Amino acid sequence: MELRLIHHPEGPQRIALEAGTAAEYLVLQDAAGATSATDWEIQLAEGARLQMVFLSLDGDTLRNCLRVSLQGRHASCDLAGLCLADGTQRMDYDIVLMHEVPQCHSTQLFKNIVGGQAVTRFDGLIKVVPDAQQTEAYQANHNLLTTETAKAFTKPQLEIYADDVKCSHGATIGRLNPDELFYLRSRGIPEKEARLLQQLAFCYEVLEKISAAEMREDLRQKIEERLRKMA
Amino acid sequence: MNTLLKIENLHASVGEKEILRGINLDIRAGEVHAIMGPNGSGKSTLSAVLAGRETFTVTDGSVTYDGRDLLALKPEERAWAGVFLGFQYPVEIPGVSNVNFMKAAVNEQRKQRGLEPLNAAQFLKLMREKMALVEMDSSFSSRGVNVGFSGGEKKRNEIFQMAMLEPRLAILDETDSGLDVDALRIVATGVNQLRRPDNAFIVITHYQRLLDYIVPDVIHVLYKGRIIKTAGKELALEIEQKGYDWIIQESE
Repeated sequence: MELRLIHHPEGPQRIALEAGTAAEYLVLQDAAGATSATDWEIQLAEGARLQMVFLSLDGDTLRNCLRVSLQGRHASCDLAGLCLADGTQRMDYDIVLMHEVPQCHSTQLFKNIVGGQAVTRFDGLIKVVPDAQQTEAYQANHNLLTTETAKAFTKPQLEIYADDVKCSHGATIGRLNPDELFYLRSRGIPEKEARLLQQLAFCYEVLEKISAAEMREDLRQKIEERLRKMA
Repeated sequence: MNTLLKIENLHASVGEKEILRGINLDIRAGEVHAIMGPNGSGKSTLSAVLAGRETFTVTDGSVTYDGRDLLALKPEERAWAGVFLGFQYPVEIPGVSNVNFMKAAVNEQRKQRGLEPLNAAQFLKLMREKMALVEMDSSFSSRGVNVGFSGGEKKRNEIFQMAMLEPRLAILDETDSGLDVDALRIVATGVNQLRRPDNAFIVITHYQRLLDYIVPDVIHVLYKGRIIKTAGKELALEIEQKGYDWIIQESE
């Protein structure tokens, strides 16, 4: 499957997948000082499969607002995102994912590393309408704070009106694991490098969603450079 | 022979609780010292303090390693100086592969010692060689550090890391706990192959079993934060048969 890259989206974006089609998108926001608010309207028809990764690596104020509608049976939508925010940056994701018909599948994995006095916000809702039996929907938001002054807000939500579904949602806000840090340092890896390795490891799960190996490696390097500057 | 490690009157606490209450220990290059003792006697605390774990506060005493004040060094600086801790509970680090972890560690240590980093081919050759030493499958190298490893695999990975880093002082904290006989043999063989006249080992263990494979020069019994008995390797067998009570009574 061809990977479609959307670099610095401007204006409202619409992705509509027709029945039986599949697409993979990568959204990259990495311009220092950029401010943008992007509305995404995403619709999947029967059997359509969407894999979408958002990388918000740099920018002043970034806001992505997603309205996803699964409109045909067996539609499948995998969303993942990574925000790297520091200084006084602000990065928001606002997601409403609607399961409108039975037997659809969705996942959301959004991770943020927040340093400086930056603020991130994740507001995600999965809504399963009364008809949408045998829905599978999972949502997770994980936040890593690297300074005392960084802030992460998270609001994972589920509204389920059907009775035969598998759904979960969850969120964490935490700091680097001190046991891991000591383990790495005890092998001679300096504290700063060890922290970087831990942060890269945190990003890995999102990066892994990008199927093109070469692109993934380029992005890993980009993320590493950015994390070094944030440190 | 020169003293590699000299511990004098070492006291250490966690919060208000004193765990080490005056340890004295001299280790010379070429020696293997076993430290035994009942649960909660301070064995793991001693190894953690030597490796630089910040959870513990040293309240008194000194540790001199190779002529330097070990306690003044950061954990990574201790590693650069040749100190290695084999963890009782090795940490899982998802997302960091074994190979990248070891590459970062080996090349950082080389850098600190004024050596060129190993190139990819040299590194892989070294890695293969050391993995063979502990009978580790090469598929482990691309997996996350200790992620999904069995207890025995984690311990073998500790010995593998030790072999990669070639420390001068290796502290093995209950490396034998949770190992079956085969894994124990592999771990012990790895250690024995790394014994040299210029390095030393501290082997912390509950069981005499390990000391059948790694024969120590000296055995110390730690109890309530102090070494209450020091003897030759025959002591292990005696402890296996009679337990610790007689030694504790003797010391009181």
